Amino acid sequence: MTAATSATGQPAGGTPAAASPVTTGSEKRAEMLAGYALIVVPMLLFLVLNIGSVLYEVFVSLWKWNVRTGPQQFRGIQNYQTLFADDIFWRAVQNTVYYAVIWVPLTMALGLFLAVIVNQKLRGQAFFRAAYYFPAIASSVAITILWIFIMSPEGLFNTVRGAIGINPLFAALGFSANQNWIGDERTALNTVIILNAWTTSGTFMLFYLASLQTISGEVYEAAALDGASWWQTFRRITFPLLRPAHYFVATVALIGALQLFDQAYVAGGVGGDPNNALMTVVLYLFNAAVSQANFGYAAAVGVVLFAIIFTATLVQRRLFGSTPSWL
Amino acid sequence: MTTEAAPARVQDTPVATHAGDTGAKWRRRIVYVFLIGYAILMFIPFTWSVVTSFKTLPDSVQLTFIPNPFTTAGWEFAVTQLEPPIQVLFLNSFVIASAVTLTNLVLGSMAGYAFARLRFPGRELLFLVVLATLMIPDQLRLVPVYLLFNGIGFTRGVGQYFGVITVLAISATSIFLLRQYFLSIPRDLEEAAKIDGAGFFTTFVRVMLPLAGPALAAVAILQFQGTWNSFFWPLLLLGDKAHWTLPLGLGFFRTAGGYANNWPPLMATVVLATIPVLVLYIFFQRYFVEGIAASGVKG
Repeated sequence: MTAATSATGQPAGGTPAAASPVTTGSEKRAEMLAGYALIVVPMLLFLVLNIGSVLYEVFVSLWKWNVRTGPQQFRGIQNYQTLFADDIFWRAVQNTVYYAVIWVPLTMALGLFLAVIVNQKLRGQAFFRAAYYFPAIASSVAITILWIFIMSPEGLFNTVRGAIGINPLFAALGFSANQNWIGDERTALNTVIILNAWTTSGTFMLFYLASLQTISGEVYEAAALDGASWWQTFRRITFPLLRPAHYFVATVALIGALQLFDQAYVAGGVGGDPNNALMTVVLYLFNAAVSQANFGYAAAVGVVLFAIIFTATLVQRRLFGSTPSWL
Repeated sequence: MTTEAAPARVQDTPVATHAGDTGAKWRRRIVYVFLIGYAILMFIPFTWSVVTSFKTLPDSVQLTFIPNPFTTAGWEFAVTQLEPPIQVLFLNSFVIASAVTLTNLVLGSMAGYAFARLRFPGRELLFLVVLATLMIPDQLRLVPVYLLFNGIGFTRGVGQYFGVITVLAISATSIFLLRQYFLSIPRDLEEAAKIDGAGFFTTFVRVMLPLAGPALAAVAILQFQGTWNSFFWPLLLLGDKAHWTLPLGLGFFRTAGGYANNWPPLMATVVLATIPVLVLYIFFQRYFVEGIAASGVKG
């Protein structure tokens, strides 16, 4: 919003003959036309593919829709009734919410922790930052396949824990020496959570770092003079000052979490195997549209998902009590 | 830091300072052990995929870091046996990622400049619309976008390429990053160009674009990497195998392609798919980090 005022304000340090406020009508019109011409293509794409999409989706959700011929039969809220009566849909909602509730705080905490640590004066600081962001650059499909391999019954994870002799600990928790982490419905979703925490912690670290670097050093010097401990400084100064960053990261994380798809699809296929353990709302939507060509029904899933995301974002805004300027 | 601390140390009680120093020293050591440990955790899976790609199948489930016997059979399989061929997947990924990068650079810089510098009615509202699209998840748009594209032929034949490119053609992040960068450029240069009689387009192309190098680089790298890895839209829109990208091929080899547990070739394809973005990351790491950080700092 600061941009608006500076853009409409006077140009700084121009010529002394700053008689430019008396811009002629034609100049103004030229600027206006240039402005619209430069944004017209992206705005059209956004209006059709984003804003228009949401409205169209609501419309489609009220019909039995054929992909070739269009609307077949008006259904009203019937698609929604069928949806709410489907146990697999509720399983998908349950999985998605569970994923969000565990993954968002876990990954935020990891990212914040890493950011605070690499924000110190350290040897190799740039290297560590680059290393922690590294898993985020690879494709989700490639990473998931790699993870499936590592967590398979004869994979690296099981052989390493056997080799270092911590299997009794896992046995006590009820896991055999060759537990199939991603193929067992008890552990599949948690395995995906750990995978995604691992790949995304570096991204959240970068978000937090950008914010940490805006905190002035004077605040810390004052704290040090008062004899504040490391923990007190973090608890009383750093953490509260990062409030806008918490809000931003939490919003991005939550929206991402509710859209979980790639990893679930690659690990569990369209069915969210094993036994729906990896069925997410988006996977359910994809299934309805692509596998069953039931577009009206899929649109209803989309509308419900939108409602879930919208509500979650509002709750979060209430929770944090502050709004970044761009929202 | 040490030079400043030195005089203070003389005045302080030596014992107390000493104890504090060792405490700090130990804390530092613990921090380094953690830092290095976490860094190793970041690299192990990738290292393991490279190691495995040179192993035989029975050897691939052994906990040995040196392949025994060392074989390139996995790589040969990946390069010659897969269907669709990995070369085709590479080419498709490259074409689509390049096209999307280009459209984001062109459309993003134009819109970024307009939002940063030109005055026109509704500008703030339209910019809010741009940012609001970040709140509408891709997956939610599956049905309407598919139906629309199906209607105009973007789900058939070569049209499939256009479908993917169109839906990814411009992201709000690109516009946002470029707008922020244009805002940070001093106005004097444009004023000078204006006095010389340059119009808005000339000013944009001759003055502003050449100054926006770092922001353009960040957008290009983020878009190329993002599109190279993208899965959802290609999966939905690229129906023909001949048009598939690398992530689609990889997912297929794993799930339906019958190579489910044939780890060495599977790991070779994982490595192959990762190499291009890895090279980008090694050479342009600064832009990755700055681009991600800048998109995280609110405007």
